[in-house]
Amino acid sequence: MKRWFVLAIAVLALIGSAAPVAAQAKDTLVVALVSHAPTLDPHMHFERVGILVNINMFDSLLHKNRKLEYEPSLAMSWKTLNDTTWEFKLRKGVKFHNGDVMTAEDVKFSFDRVLEPGKEKKKSPQYGNIRAIKDVRIVDADTIHVVTEKPFPLLLERLVFFPIVPKKHIEKVGEEAFGTTAAVGTGPWKFVEWKRDQHIRLEAFDGHWRGKPAFKNLIVRNIPEVATQIAEMKTGGVDLIRNVSADLVPELKSHPQTYVSSAPILRVHYVELDMREAPFDKKAVRQAANYAIDKQAIIQKLMGGLGQQVATVVQPAAFGFEPEVKPFPYDPKKARELLAQAGHPNGVDITLHSAFVEFRPVFEAITQMLTEVGIRVNARMWDPGPAWNKFLQAEGKATNGYYGSWGNYSVFDADAVLHPLYHTEPGGWIGKWYTRVEGLDKLIDEARSTLNQAHRKRTYSQIQKLIREEAPAIFLWTQYDTLAISKRVDYAARGDEWLWLFDAKPKR
Amino acid sequence: MSPFLVRRLVRLAVVILGVSLVTFAILHASGDPVSLIMPEAPESDRAMLRKALGLHDPLPVQFARFVGNTVTGNFGKSFFHHGQSASALVLERMPTTLLLTVLSMGLALVVALPVGIYSAVRRGRAVDQLATGTVFLGQSMPVFWTGIMLILLFGVQWRVLPVSGWESWAAVLLPTATLSTFTAPLLLRIVRSSMLEVIGLDYVRTARAKGVSESLVIWRHALKNAALPLVTVTGLQFGLLLGGAVITETVFAIPGVGRLIVGAIRQLDFPVVQAGVFMLAMIVVSVNFLVDVLYLYLNPQIRIR
Repeated sequence: MKRWFVLAIAVLALIGSAAPVAAQAKDTLVVALVSHAPTLDPHMHFERVGILVNINMFDSLLHKNRKLEYEPSLAMSWKTLNDTTWEFKLRKGVKFHNGDVMTAEDVKFSFDRVLEPGKEKKKSPQYGNIRAIKDVRIVDADTIHVVTEKPFPLLLERLVFFPIVPKKHIEKVGEEAFGTTAAVGTGPWKFVEWKRDQHIRLEAFDGHWRGKPAFKNLIVRNIPEVATQIAEMKTGGVDLIRNVSADLVPELKSHPQTYVSSAPILRVHYVELDMREAPFDKKAVRQAANYAIDKQAIIQKLMGGLGQQVATVVQPAAFGFEPEVKPFPYDPKKARELLAQAGHPNGVDITLHSAFVEFRPVFEAITQMLTEVGIRVNARMWDPGPAWNKFLQAEGKATNGYYGSWGNYSVFDADAVLHPLYHTEPGGWIGKWYTRVEGLDKLIDEARSTLNQAHRKRTYSQIQKLIREEAPAIFLWTQYDTLAISKRVDYAARGDEWLWLFDAKPKR
Repeated sequence: MSPFLVRRLVRLAVVILGVSLVTFAILHASGDPVSLIMPEAPESDRAMLRKALGLHDPLPVQFARFVGNTVTGNFGKSFFHHGQSASALVLERMPTTLLLTVLSMGLALVVALPVGIYSAVRRGRAVDQLATGTVFLGQSMPVFWTGIMLILLFGVQWRVLPVSGWESWAAVLLPTATLSTFTAPLLLRIVRSSMLEVIGLDYVRTARAKGVSESLVIWRHALKNAALPLVTVTGLQFGLLLGGAVITETVFAIPGVGRLIVGAIRQLDFPVVQAGVFMLAMIVVSVNFLVDVLYLYLNPQIRIR
């Protein structure tokens, strides 16, 4: 028996010596994502994991720096000519990875392949983002005009991720090859290979207009399981992972080879309430639910302090935020009083749903706190797959509300959260089922159809006061994005959840 | 061809049709993929896409089209993998999943056969008790847990094997071991119990009485008769292993069919799920058919029945 054991160890050691478990080469940066987007074509998907790869290969007209201020990228400057026309001056002499020089033709081509003017069926899932654009005109070699149907205040936000792609190249290789084996952009890294479900390998582009990135090789591995990502992190197989949950932060903070970086992001948590049905058709009950939650305790005890209370769903970082509107304080006594006033002195039974599995303990705490003031919750947790999708398509029936979050598509404007959550127009998202606040639709429409920022700001202030009073949701907190990073790499989490790896530098 | 095999072939066709129908029904009952493809688009845009994808037709029409296309090997284009055919996506990943499954089955057999026979022959001794204990342990551990434990031990603690991936032979070891841990105990139990049954029979005693050497008695006479249940269970386990490969592929970040299908289910990518499930079902059914053929060889009585 003993001999066998020794032999087994010897075999293992032999395999071990041949196995590539050593840390990465100095000029290589390895990032792990839970999946890859189905295509490298930046216009033909709408997945965060795809955007994170695309931004390092492609440039857009505008860029946002670490402080999230606009910076020139492929456009040197921009201005509005009137309410519906924007002028962009293009950077001269920008080269694509294949050596072609970027022209105004490429810019127009990029818009047209998403807008597909005249075509009934649009193939780009990003069409909805820029559907307000009516026309893109080439004025001269370095100038384009973007014409919108109505005043479109969100245009600049939408253009921060709107990559410019090479017209000639795509016409030559075809769309499918462009998305799989022949992706070409103007960004800091160029495409080398994509091994399906394994990794995307990129290499620094010598001709990039910003200069060369610090890491020559950028590898984006596809590792779906978080436990595996962390094991890779600890053994140096990976240098950066995203979405580190609060319970894992202490472990990765104290590990000799890793550190943790977090930043408040646009994602806001809430419990949307169904205002069509009792008991949440009554304002007092909705307010009672808001008073019942000890937000600070949940942030501190269950989220590792990585959260910030908000008064509504509009975040401090978004345009239109009204600091005078304050969060509901934790006041269980007041909650019980309001509940009694609304005709429920002995409490009331409700059902809440959620598919937010990463925050299951938080959901449980929320339901517990509601139950304590007399809003007795039957809590149902779902897997965020087809079943949940089916539930949403049933217009949220069979529930009094649901706990979830909204990431604003990383657009720093109040509209990006107010419209999907609270506008009742048929094309909208959850608001069309749940929300019934008189006059709210009109205010949201008003704020999104003018370029007068002062007027927009006033309208958003009004909206926030209105929804704080009407409480169409239990307003909770903003989430933080937490990265774990290898100590050999210098990088910090950004408020827009981007991995802008041009900013990543080797340490020492 | 023997009537036995003909009956089995007919059953095979029925099973495949059944699998297609069930997959189709469950998928279409699980929601509307268009609302996932275009989360923020107005209803009119969505209706257009639904039409383009053929999702606006009545379900029987869609099913008939699906069956028709399946016969010609065309599962349609993926909703999400921009412009790529569903069968190409599945076929691209199939060798990986098959390799993982076959290697695991091989490893499980290599462990189960000798240990199972040994513990049957030395019934009640220390080796037998150790084996029985291991069986108990191995069958109680869920695959994902075994996988993560093996990663922690060999990848993080001792650093002798890669944590994840599929790019070297060393990387293949942990997932193969993980998946075998799930199968080997069951096979071991089957080998042990059927051997125990057989070595008590008269013809074995006769062989021994004739003076045939012990190893010949065990490997030639006893094993051939004990093999029938083992072959059955191995065939059935193959299907379960393919299922277990889904989880193993996720834990070890292996580019296989299982991971593709799980992702496709989340996105309601109907063509990919249908192509993947169909092809996996084909493989399982074919393996079981092979098992039936093996029966004929192992037990001539079946040929007559």
